[in-house]
Amino acid sequence: MVASRETKIYRQDARSKGSFLSPEQREDLLNPYLPAPPLSRTPAPALRKRRSQPVKTFLKQQLHLLVFIIIHTLFSVYIRIRQTYHILLDRVFAILYYHHRAPELIRQDVKNLSRIPGHLSVILELKGEERGTAALGALMDEVAEISAWCSCVGIPMLSVYERTGILKAYIPTTHRTVTKKLHNYFGRYIPSLQVRAPHVPSYLNGGSSEEGGVSILSGHLSILLLSAEDGRSTLVDLTKTLAEMSQRKKLCPTDISLDLVDAEITESVMGEPDLLVLFGPSVELQGYPPWQVRLTEVYHMQDNTGVGYQVFLRALHNYAKASMRLGR
Amino acid sequence: MPSMHLSQIRRWLLQSPPVEWGIMQLRELLIGALRQGPIPQHVAFVMDGNRRFARTHGIETLEGHNLGFEALARILEVCYKSGVKVVTIYAFSIENFKRSKYEVDALMEMAKVKLSQLAQHGDLLDRYGACIKVLGQRELVKPDVLKAVDRAVAMTEHNKDAILNVCFPYTSHDEITTAIRDTVIEYSKPLPSQNRSFSESHIAHTIRSRHLSAATPKAGSHSPSLGATSDTEDSVPSASSSTTLHPESPSDPTPLDDDGDGKYRETYPDPETITPSILNDHMYTAGLPPLELLVRTSGVERLSDFLLWQCHQNTEIVFLETLWPEFDLWTFLPVLVEWQWKRRKGVERQLEIRNETDGRTLKIKDR
Repeated sequence: MVASRETKIYRQDARSKGSFLSPEQREDLLNPYLPAPPLSRTPAPALRKRRSQPVKTFLKQQLHLLVFIIIHTLFSVYIRIRQTYHILLDRVFAILYYHHRAPELIRQDVKNLSRIPGHLSVILELKGEERGTAALGALMDEVAEISAWCSCVGIPMLSVYERTGILKAYIPTTHRTVTKKLHNYFGRYIPSLQVRAPHVPSYLNGGSSEEGGVSILSGHLSILLLSAEDGRSTLVDLTKTLAEMSQRKKLCPTDISLDLVDAEITESVMGEPDLLVLFGPSVELQGYPPWQVRLTEVYHMQDNTGVGYQVFLRALHNYAKASMRLGR
Repeated sequence: MPSMHLSQIRRWLLQSPPVEWGIMQLRELLIGALRQGPIPQHVAFVMDGNRRFARTHGIETLEGHNLGFEALARILEVCYKSGVKVVTIYAFSIENFKRSKYEVDALMEMAKVKLSQLAQHGDLLDRYGACIKVLGQRELVKPDVLKAVDRAVAMTEHNKDAILNVCFPYTSHDEITTAIRDTVIEYSKPLPSQNRSFSESHIAHTIRSRHLSAATPKAGSHSPSLGATSDTEDSVPSASSSTTLHPESPSDPTPLDDDGDGKYRETYPDPETITPSILNDHMYTAGLPPLELLVRTSGVERLSDFLLWQCHQNTEIVFLETLWPEFDLWTFLPVLVEWQWKRRKGVERQLEIRNETDGRTLKIKDR
């Protein structure tokens, strides 16, 4: 914090590209705002002063501690209020914008948006690591719900990041769950569905199912399951391969360019998503593939917990730079 | 207009010496209070919004950048005083070269002026104990700017208390690619042949002479007693006899051996030993504490190719609506307090989990 007089002089100096003031004048300008020079530099006066300082420093520290406690008390009150407000707002939105599992209603909600992401990515969390199958079921249901909304809106590509990668072990089950959910939304004819994961050879292409058929008119959705392995480990794997090639003289290290890495990473995992939606209370990427989030729009709702249609919808509105009003 | 009068009165009031002094004391107090809690060791800023600030306030773009620099100075003061060890700022992206030549040149000029001013006041920076590091593609910078950069870096090198990383022609993709390339180069260097005190040719020679000394008495004792030697037995002494014929030239077969060994000996480090931490050590931020807080101003919710490798794990990312020139302690304080609050929550939760698991293990032990 610098007083206004000094600021004015400084700005005049800056405008003239540093020719207005001499170095000494500039130092004089700054001097009152600098912390004391380090003790090691000035041993003699510091020793004399130190005798009177312990009491002063102690009192000062107590004062700081007091202010710290006050700030944090006030802050926890503030954050409780904020959380309550956000929960209430969330409920209101959830009631106003309920999808009723009807693709028509969902399409109505996004009708006026100027753009829709071509590749949507979400970060989900496996809740309660110890409960096992119940947590897995809940996670799968979330994936299915989001997939259904995506196919209603017309987003062709959905990537689901979950840190532990448990879903990768249940690709057929996931496919079955999502298909069921799609039948729930669309009725007899559902969009074709593909579920896959990087580095996993088996992928399922949606085809016949006992309940109904796949209609080409309803579009196509492909779901990509990601985990922490697809982040740093993939880059490490690429480095390993490149190092091996270079050792066998199949490649010169100078050939390694940004485009090469980008092409390889895109090929082996995925390209950059257009929109990343977080359902947690704050922005934390939890190990999400780093290479791909370069220009991705990140959406999160403050203090939000859990997957909800209103969050999804607000993310889309935010992406299209449209504001969502209370009421349709 | 009443609002104009009001704002004038407000400005007059804020600029009066006692109020100014009071605000300064309050700042010091707040910073001192912040120090009582945990403080992120590494903070990064994306200084976004200079241009928009200039546009909305009807001033020149360059003036906006100048105000942005002032905001940076303010925030650095807050950071270092409250105990942040490393501050990383996104000063210039490689992509920014695509902006108008006028603006790029002006920004470069500004960097040069500020850095050369900094070099003039090298001893003042010592008071904060801060050293400057420049991360990025040096080749893209003009030589005169680069000279100012190098001087400022050299001037502050000896400071160890705090670090200011200036990302100047930087993109994260470029950083990761460079790290991969450097790692590959490191792993394509053959390992140096170990200089042990034993020479392989000498050992080979010793073995041969052992064979010789063992074989000659054998041959000598067998052949007279049996007279006619069988084919199978003959083959053994013949091999050794070939060496006995030229005992002074063991180098004859060794070049062949060496050649074969030479191909074999050019061993490389095993690529399987590459780990994320090795790649991490090749990033520009090697050796620094992990990034704990990333702040981006002006309401843009993107990372824009900044510190992707460093921020994708446990970093708290905060997007603020404020434009960078308006960014100050008053906007930064809530962010820091919330970070401290979350940190405390996180610690509490961890303790709870640990207590739970402890209790469970105790129960199991009881059984």
